[in-house]
Amino acid sequence: MTAYETVIGLEVHIELATNSKIFCSCTNGSDADPNTHVCPACCGMPGMLPVANREVINLGMTAGMMLNCDINRTTTFDKKSYYYPDLPASYQTTQWFAPVAVNGHVTIETPEGPKDIRIKQIHMEEDAGKLVHDNLTFTTLVDFNRTSVPLIEIVSQPDLRNADEVEAYLERLRTLLRFAKVSGARMEKGTMRADVNLSVRPAGSQELGVRTEMKNMASIAAIRRAIEFETARHIDAIENGTEELVQETRGWNDDAGTSFSMRTKETAGDYRYFPDPNIMPIVIDDEWFDRIKASLPQLPEEKLEHYMAEIGLSEYDASALTQSRAFCDCFEGAMAAGAAAKDAANWIITNCAGILNKRGMTSDELPVPGSALGQLIALVDGGKLSSANGKRLLETLFDVAERGEAIPEDIAAFAETEGLLNSSDTGELEAVVAAVIAADPETAQAYRDGREKALNPLFGACMQQLKGKCDTQVLRELLIAELNKG
Amino acid sequence: MDRETLVKLEQLNQLSLTSQEQDEVLAFFAAREADWEALAAIDTENIERMVHVRPMTNVLREDVASQPFDREDLLVQAPESMDGYWQVPQVL
Repeated sequence: MTAYETVIGLEVHIELATNSKIFCSCTNGSDADPNTHVCPACCGMPGMLPVANREVINLGMTAGMMLNCDINRTTTFDKKSYYYPDLPASYQTTQWFAPVAVNGHVTIETPEGPKDIRIKQIHMEEDAGKLVHDNLTFTTLVDFNRTSVPLIEIVSQPDLRNADEVEAYLERLRTLLRFAKVSGARMEKGTMRADVNLSVRPAGSQELGVRTEMKNMASIAAIRRAIEFETARHIDAIENGTEELVQETRGWNDDAGTSFSMRTKETAGDYRYFPDPNIMPIVIDDEWFDRIKASLPQLPEEKLEHYMAEIGLSEYDASALTQSRAFCDCFEGAMAAGAAAKDAANWIITNCAGILNKRGMTSDELPVPGSALGQLIALVDGGKLSSANGKRLLETLFDVAERGEAIPEDIAAFAETEGLLNSSDTGELEAVVAAVIAADPETAQAYRDGREKALNPLFGACMQQLKGKCDTQVLRELLIAELNKG
Repeated sequence: MDRETLVKLEQLNQLSLTSQEQDEVLAFFAAREADWEALAAIDTENIERMVHVRPMTNVLREDVASQPFDREDLLVQAPESMDGYWQVPQVL
């Protein structure tokens, strides 16, 4: 029986985290009402001229450097012609002749050890609009909000051999691009989509088989299932002649677990690429190149090592923090604000992660800066804020961010405004303690008779009356002193 | 340019020419055949690709979002519209 090898290359589209679109100043945000983030330029009106967004070039270069690519010091945009209603200009502005980055690699872990997946190129381009089929009118409705949203397309060489390697590659890409703040790269939100090019050949053969492309795959689980299905379909066709394999674009029906033919794949010539005369070449000088290079973040594995070896975190804490650039930034910011490393790590891994999870947010969406968390931790450690109210304050900071407001600079003042700081009035504490003992003389007597656990309900009643706003150590001491008075 | 290539280009551009129009286009290209051949004969080996005809580079804008156009003003340009969408013949 012939053994077969699957050969896979990926084209991964990543939506860039910019404020505005790639060639016009419309907001980069496609979740709004249809056609509310559009202008004559991104609607393809005749005579409108594109002006490229500098930040897109910055992020394209950043992605290229993160993936070990060579940066083309002169990079240009080209027109790719095809007709479809989601593409109002009837061409997509993309890069064909001189993409921003070429010849890189990404290293993944496999059971056989580290493996380099070569990157052929990264090019910058505009996204297309969204189409909605209307069942009542049997027409297609077009929303151009997403048109001209900036993308990079990362094209790998056909170096992947199975679904496990594809998953490892996509996860590594996602981690690197999130760390570099190129993109949120969330498949479930459509900001990361993959086209899977797949062929099958007898093991050991150097010749590539007939290649099919499955477009716009939006989950790793679906990609895994599609790879397994397509591999089996190709082998069946080769061995049993069940069908003639042709180079084509196929769709994937995840519910049915099958792929289906969409169209015979266009060749590059069909797209009639030509240089876009409306966008001047972009020349990246040494100063620009060096500035982007200097802005690259430490890799997650480098941070892990740093947190363990130099800061003294446990492997568990360091691993949990280095899953997310936002966690790392918050952790380092909190330490810079004076928090102890272990405290900062605990607050992020336990409390921040808990709130994020409750609100259905990812770790990269952590809205609380490290300076704010550091101040909050200092208030708790200094006895000015109870631990419970510290958590309330953190939750309140999430609310502030959710309303689109800035996180306050002075966290102590904010906590005071919110009425969460501990009472510094010992007279108030003494009055509460006296009232609680007077209201429950039996429990007070039980404590005096030697039942130490009787202190707990009295302490709880005091905390309830004080709404948690006190230094618990001071309260405990006052309560014991009052009880001992007899 | 032969008829087969022309038909392929028609498909790519979603055009449908009559046979008379096809003849006219083919005659247009045939009359310029010598021009194409003269261009193709030029030795461009070791000539650096001309990136752009104008000596300008880095015409860029900062990443600042501005107020979008009013949707209704744009939809006026649409042949048909519905519920804030452009409306086109069914393609899905």
